[in-house]
Amino acid sequence: MKDIDKQTLDFSTMLASAVHDMKNSLGLLVNHLEDVIEHFDGSDKEDIKLLSQLQYEAKRVNNNLLQILSLYRLENSLYALNIAYNPVNDLLDDVYIQNKTLFDYKGISLERDDCSDLCWFFDNDLVCGVVNSILNNTFRYTLDKVFISACEKDGYLSICVDDNGEGYPDYMLEESSIDKTEISFKTGSTGLGIYFSEMVAKVHKNKARQGFISITNGGRYGGGRFCINLP
Amino acid sequence: MNRQELSRRKFLLVDDFSEFRHSVKKMLQSLGVTDVDDVGSGNDAVEKMSQKTYDVVLCDYNLGENKKDGQQILEEARFREIIKYSTIFIMITAENTMTMVMGAIEYKPDDYLTKPFTKETLYNRLEKIIDKKKDFDAIEKALANKDFLLALKICNDRITNKPQNLYEFVKIKADLCITLGDYDEAEKVFRSVITIRNVPWAVLGLGKVMFLKGNYLEAKDILHDLIDENRSFMEGYDWLAKTLEELGDVKEAQNILVRASEMSPKAILRQKALANVALKNSDLNLAERSFKAAVGLGKTSCFKSPSDYTGLAKVLVEKKTPEKALTILNEAKDSFGSDPSANLQTAVMSGIVYKELGRLDDAKKSVEEAGSLFESMKGAVSNDVAMDMAKAFFDLGLNDKGNKVMQDIVRNNHDNDKILKQAQEIFNDANLHDEGLAIIATTKQEIVKINNEGVKLVNQGKLKEAIEYFEKAAGGLPENKIINANAAQSMLMYMQKFGKVDRLLYQVRNYLEKIRKVDPTYKKYISLLALYQKMVATESKQ
Repeated sequence: MKDIDKQTLDFSTMLASAVHDMKNSLGLLVNHLEDVIEHFDGSDKEDIKLLSQLQYEAKRVNNNLLQILSLYRLENSLYALNIAYNPVNDLLDDVYIQNKTLFDYKGISLERDDCSDLCWFFDNDLVCGVVNSILNNTFRYTLDKVFISACEKDGYLSICVDDNGEGYPDYMLEESSIDKTEISFKTGSTGLGIYFSEMVAKVHKNKARQGFISITNGGRYGGGRFCINLP
Repeated sequence: MNRQELSRRKFLLVDDFSEFRHSVKKMLQSLGVTDVDDVGSGNDAVEKMSQKTYDVVLCDYNLGENKKDGQQILEEARFREIIKYSTIFIMITAENTMTMVMGAIEYKPDDYLTKPFTKETLYNRLEKIIDKKKDFDAIEKALANKDFLLALKICNDRITNKPQNLYEFVKIKADLCITLGDYDEAEKVFRSVITIRNVPWAVLGLGKVMFLKGNYLEAKDILHDLIDENRSFMEGYDWLAKTLEELGDVKEAQNILVRASEMSPKAILRQKALANVALKNSDLNLAERSFKAAVGLGKTSCFKSPSDYTGLAKVLVEKKTPEKALTILNEAKDSFGSDPSANLQTAVMSGIVYKELGRLDDAKKSVEEAGSLFESMKGAVSNDVAMDMAKAFFDLGLNDKGNKVMQDIVRNNHDNDKILKQAQEIFNDANLHDEGLAIIATTKQEIVKINNEGVKLVNQGKLKEAIEYFEKAAGGLPENKIINANAAQSMLMYMQKFGKVDRLLYQVRNYLEKIRKVDPTYKKYISLLALYQKMVATESKQ
């Protein structure tokens, strides 16, 4: 029994350091790609499109690695949860800046709320990770519009991402199925993003209340609408 | 902040990966920054920082196995004050790593940045931190100058305006109240935050206040709940362990620290605490392991201290392996060179080790060497070290020397019951119960008499003489808070009468700082501090 435990420990340590290494390389890749894109700016549109597709994939892998790592840490109580009182605008700035260029290249208009006076208690890194992963998803499924909004409602901070695509498939809309989102290797939907969002929402607690996510269709643009609600 | 403002700033970049340094350097240059230095190791970083004043340090956390990591660089830079209070320190990380977040909490970077990041993210972050830093500039400056009342005043002013980052000011305010010994106000602030939400720092703060007020049972409950709900909040474990120790449950204190150090094996201060608790419990294996960890971590940390080595030596003596203890002490000598405090501690411990080895002449020689070092650095020796030293003297039958050291301890702490009790225990252990009682009583009387003489001069209005008298007395009793307080008071009274004098103001500050270190809750301290602040603020009489 003891040997097996030891093995798992070593394997996860190894995984963690492998992920660390991959993230370093990916970081360089993403930065170099940015330089290259800047270099190509103004020239052939097709090239830029191809390059930004590359950049998107690299960021996607990076997001996934980050989520896996965070999940591992959250589930093993290894994550140092840092719930601080953050200006919501800072978070929106961060995710907006990180994604804007990419959305521009694909001709998607990315817009956001301005909520200068809104501050809330949350772990900035985790919530940033959630919004990034949802944006990553809408990048694929929206038609040409995405909107990030935030507001306070009934004692919760609600951060939402709206798109004008076809909306979420039915099985994802059924609340009870969120926990065990279907994993499909065909469509590439691993359910990781949603599972991660759920976990992040759940670790946000305020006295008796707990965070939650909601997925609906309709919303601002008649497409999909994802919200994370934090007490 | 605009780009032009950014371009004038001096940057230091620390990462062991040269490709990454190159890439970030290029980002900064494209943002207009011209002054960027980059280094690949912690030692180089510390050297650079001590040579040149940087505005922003971008430092990778993970700089390779057994090398100084980003947290240790930050600790050293802030602890040794080689960077300015206004220097921005940003930790670059691959992910949220526990070992990182668990360093010494009082040394936090201004921000974390997760790899990989783009130029836009970097700029956006820098802009925010620089603006935020400006927002806290006045408070940080006051804190750097140890002007706590001014810092508190600024905090209160800011809180009235209900800014966006209200809770950061509230937190600083509460911590300041603790520093100043105003525990009631601190408690009020923490409780008001907790009614809104169980924010971990506020719960911890409340636990700390309860501990400091001596309400250990209440502190225990609060801190227990805190770590149950926030299993990775390391400071909670530290304070819970301290509380349990005060309650006499040293076993449970050890359990708590074991749990904490399993999660944060790199936190050197926690390893030391664990080692000392284990030693108290006579869990020699654990004590040995933890002291060894502290010695190992100390190799790259500014918190390395001779007591890690002497502690380990003590354990090895108790394990009846004095030869090994001697080896450790020699390592300490190599590692600390001519540092007098380290030499003092190793000399004391060497005496004990030699005695265990049956080398009595060497033992006496060591302890006598310690004695002369002790004489030469009077006032700069902590009570713990001084008591160890007295124990060693008694151990070797050098009772006169032991008595003298004990006398010094009593002189500096004549009103501190806890220390006096410890002192009596040392006498008891050395079979000197009656002698101890007598020494403590007469020394106490002697100090009371000294103090009374000075007070008499003040009452007679002979302020100049009183100042002279107390300055001399305080020089010989550097840690005696009453004498230090009266020295400060006579000077303040003098200045109230004859106007400000720079030399006296400077001395008053020093005395106040000494008192604060010994006992921030001393009632007289707060009132003297207020008087001093008022004095500084008044126009000089010309």
